[in-house]
Amino acid sequence: MNPMGTLEQNPGRIVIEAGIEVLRRPAYILLAAAIAVVVLAAALWLPNYRLLGAVFTTPGVALGAKLQLLAILLGGLVSNFGVVAAVSTATTPVLFGVDVAMIVYFAKRRRARLARGEIAAGFGGAASGALAAGCAACGSFLLLPVLSFVGAAGALALLPLGGAELGLLSIGLLLLSIYLIARKIAVPPLCELPPDGPVQRADRESHTTPGRNPP
Amino acid sequence: MNRSNPHRTAIRLFLAAAVLALAVPAGAQEEMAGIMEPVTPRDHIRGNPAAPVKLVEFADTECPLCKRFHPALQRVVDDYPGKVAWVFRHFPIAEIHPKAPKEHEATECAAELGGEPAFWAYLDRLYAITPSNDRLDPAELPRIAQHVGLDRAPFEQCLRSGRHAARVAEDVADALAAGAPGTPYSVIVAPNGRTYAVVGAQPYAALRLVIDIALEQK
Repeated sequence: MNPMGTLEQNPGRIVIEAGIEVLRRPAYILLAAAIAVVVLAAALWLPNYRLLGAVFTTPGVALGAKLQLLAILLGGLVSNFGVVAAVSTATTPVLFGVDVAMIVYFAKRRRARLARGEIAAGFGGAASGALAAGCAACGSFLLLPVLSFVGAAGALALLPLGGAELGLLSIGLLLLSIYLIARKIAVPPLCELPPDGPVQRADRESHTTPGRNPP
Repeated sequence: MNRSNPHRTAIRLFLAAAVLALAVPAGAQEEMAGIMEPVTPRDHIRGNPAAPVKLVEFADTECPLCKRFHPALQRVVDDYPGKVAWVFRHFPIAEIHPKAPKEHEATECAAELGGEPAFWAYLDRLYAITPSNDRLDPAELPRIAQHVGLDRAPFEQCLRSGRHAARVAEDVADALAAGAPGTPYSVIVAPNGRTYAVVGAQPYAALRLVIDIALEQK
């Protein structure tokens, strides 16, 4: 019996049950948390890498002051973002961490590869999240230069949230990726149908390889 | 099949992040804040012009984060009397805030008609009333002038003339040369010339910490 239920379940339940299956294992919680912390810290520190470089290389500055600056810059999540951008900046690393943990879990458990779409949705979400994080300061660290390069910088002025839409897009893509991988985790190993669908009765007798063995 | 432990993967990630956090800034030490024009009497300066530390802010009047950051810089001048001078330079980002360049010209008109006190009073009032993100009604510009005690007619004549557009454009060029990736962008200049570039509306505690470090650089 399938402990995860069937694919007829609603998407939210599939994601929650697959998420529980993965994250009840401490190793995967640790992996997801590590990725989330690293990505969030990068989003908040990297825009000020020059400041950190200057402070860290100034003679006579105590190590405590340097570490204090690192900690204070994390507070930029509140002072340096609008509401939508802050929510997406905080949410994207968490979802990305869960997404990667689920991908690693699936790859290890099933020893199977994921379709390109599932991987692309996850990394597309992370990439658009990085672009959205650039909107922390007006003008953006990444988005405006990218749009300027393609001659579409003015398009930002037309967006009602001034580019924070990318943060919402990244959340959507990551949720899609998590859902796709959750579906894979929820389904027990099966004989896969051939890519052109089920073999018709008339063809069956002459068809020698109706499917592939489970992994 | 080589099956790596997720614990090890997590530890490797932490180590990679730690190396990145330390290595990237260390490698970037040669180019801290780009090449910025020195502070001169041409600048708009709040506080003691002879203060040992200069905080040069590149800002956009329609940027919501600049609006949020403005009181923090007012507080810096109050908390470091005589020690920190706040220098304002124009960096309207017309691609996302098409109305901003004219607003910056308006602040220059205020300076022309009323000197430095009028410039800062105009800037304070503009930030106080603008909803940001290009939503300030241009009709407010002469009203702000009246609010800070300037005559409306010469102000409107100045604004129509566009004679300060070149000054605003010079500051924009300086912002780009200084490496400003967006606004607000602040360069804290220590007495020995060492610079500390702060990107975004960072917490006031971060400003204090960096200013305290700068004050020690004799």
